[in-house]
Amino acid sequence: MTRTTWPAHYLDGQSAVRHPATARLMREGLEVTLADGSARFWPYREIRQTLGAYEGEAVRLERRGGPGEALVIDDRGALASLAEVAAEAGHGFGGPRPRGWRVGGTVAAGLGAIGLAAALYLWGIPGVAGLLAAWVPAGWEQELGRRAVGVLVPAGQRCVDAGREAALAAIVERLAAVAPPLPYRLQVIVADQPAPNAFAAPGGFIVLYRGLVARLATPEEMAAVLAHEIPHVARRHATRHLIQHASTGLLLAVVIGDVAGPLAYGAEAARLLGALSHSRAAEEEADREGLRLLAAARIDPAAMIAVLEGMLAEEGRTPGALRYLSTHPATEDRIARLRALAAATPVRGEPLMSAEAWTDARRICQGRRPAP
Amino acid sequence: MDARGPGSSASLFRKPAPPGPPPAAARPGPPPAAPPAVRRARFHGSGGTLFGLSVVNVLRTLLTLGVYYFWGKTRIRRYLFGQTEFEGDRFGYHGTGAELCWGFARAFVVFFVPILGLSLIRDVLDVDPGLKGLAAFGISVLVLVFIPVAMVGARRYRLSRASWRGIRLSFRGRAGQFIGIFLRGTLLVGVTFGLYYPWFATERQAFMVSHSHFGNERFAFDGKGRDLFWPFLLAVLLTLPTLGLGWVWFIARRRRFFWNHTAFGEARFRSTVTGSALLGLWLLNALLLVGTLGLGWPWVRVRTLQFTLRYLALEGPLDVERIRQQAREASATGEGLASFLDTGFDLG
Repeated sequence: MTRTTWPAHYLDGQSAVRHPATARLMREGLEVTLADGSARFWPYREIRQTLGAYEGEAVRLERRGGPGEALVIDDRGALASLAEVAAEAGHGFGGPRPRGWRVGGTVAAGLGAIGLAAALYLWGIPGVAGLLAAWVPAGWEQELGRRAVGVLVPAGQRCVDAGREAALAAIVERLAAVAPPLPYRLQVIVADQPAPNAFAAPGGFIVLYRGLVARLATPEEMAAVLAHEIPHVARRHATRHLIQHASTGLLLAVVIGDVAGPLAYGAEAARLLGALSHSRAAEEEADREGLRLLAAARIDPAAMIAVLEGMLAEEGRTPGALRYLSTHPATEDRIARLRALAAATPVRGEPLMSAEAWTDARRICQGRRPAP
Repeated sequence: MDARGPGSSASLFRKPAPPGPPPAAARPGPPPAAPPAVRRARFHGSGGTLFGLSVVNVLRTLLTLGVYYFWGKTRIRRYLFGQTEFEGDRFGYHGTGAELCWGFARAFVVFFVPILGLSLIRDVLDVDPGLKGLAAFGISVLVLVFIPVAMVGARRYRLSRASWRGIRLSFRGRAGQFIGIFLRGTLLVGVTFGLYYPWFATERQAFMVSHSHFGNERFAFDGKGRDLFWPFLLAVLLTLPTLGLGWVWFIARRRRFFWNHTAFGEARFRSTVTGSALLGLWLLNALLLVGTLGLGWPWVRVRTLQFTLRYLALEGPLDVERIRQQAREASATGEGLASFLDTGFDLG
């Protein structure tokens, strides 16, 4: 026999007073009788259960559309009786689901979430970023690149020398002739800074540092460096990185939930690792495409390997752990990959310019400097 | 009613005893007052349940490419509120995911889109540098205004969706007033190299607390900025010698200061949190997070909630009969942009 009378307390939604009451489960609804004898009738279809699903909770029933009226029954056994009686009237009441399902469901959801997040990170984000990057107007990229380069290499720090610049431009022309068509003009800027480095900014800007230019022994090596940077421009890697970085941040925010406090540092670290990984992938692409460019322009690809070997000699081998913290793949790996690629496509190189012409062009920063 | 005093008949006001020679025998004084009732809220939830909720949320959010985020957040809030119990009854949360989604959409249109547009002008488009400078200035203004608006909006929304024993809380402060406090305070803090901070923090707290209501009863705040100044100065001076740990004690001090000056009706709040307790909480939380690679976040959240409630008490009489429902729409007042900004922004 289902117990139909339960002690409860009633909240009238007008004041914060608890009114002791009795709840009686009738056929069509719940009858609530207060100490002063007044009664209220709540049809089952208007009742909502807002508490009672968890261990140790009292059962709280609220009336839909009511001004905060609630009935609280401390004994959770009432739920079972309520479910029985209401079922006869054709209404369901959500009881707590068996614990076993909860744990299993949670594990399944967790695995699903991890799988989905991984898929998005590995394929979804790079794919979408590549698509979106192609849609960014060239004019915007050029302006962005101009600003970036303006900050990194202010006008006073650029090596300007008409004659030697022409020599460099000739190399660029030879590569551009066989490169895929670009939406903007390639502009090479030589920075008067000693670091042996080079990078590509959005909008077709390629920045070479004096430290790198002085180190290159042959014009073919210069071509190799440019051939590596041109795919960065052609594939709009810089713009892609911006989009990927933003998307990864968003993905992390979703996976972690409310990013707050100490968790934010972990999220930033994860995001940085992600950015570095995407960067390494882009560098590999640039190496591959660069080699192909050199071959197409009939320049000896061995030059690219020579440049990397020079870098290796200077930096030394990359310790295993640091590989994941680098923006570039380990130099040894790059050399190995390029050797394999070059072996597959042998090319007879045609010289770019005489050795003397290059030795002279290399001194581009020693010439007349523009007034600061 | 006290019948002493000239011409007194039954009166509503207790007349003060007239000055006179002390009686020979000591009169029995009024009965000793009962010690003030001390009430605490308790949190009954568990990290495990919260973890389950979070995992399902993440999956659903990924599946819906982010749309479910607001509904997931609401689910968690409903759980956390429903597990917090005070005087035998649990709190209720009445917000919906749709409201959060709509609030986000409005914040997006009113703030993010203009900021994005101005950023494009400043960084990417090829326009006259004067215009770029103007755009940069515009971004700063928008960001500076957004923060106080978001803070007020979040508080207004959350309080209006919270209830206890069916009675809703509410926040009745105006965003415009808080923008003024915030901008002025930020400026003064900058100009005084940070020394103004204690007053700024107190002004913000005073605004937030004194405009909060439970039903028809107001919360009151009577703290003064100068009471926080010496602890603040001490923390600043001790930063280097204690390698920054002194700030933990300042944070505890500030928490105690804010709570101890908050009152509800005739009852006052009291916080007994100490710097060492806070440090212990944070260290163990950090260990948990690092040890579980971040998965332990729900347990950390539950621990922190339990900690907060353990050190907080309400002392004094609580007259529940006097508290009446006074639910107003969270978007009741104002026209135009003010009301558009004033409501439903809950982005925290």
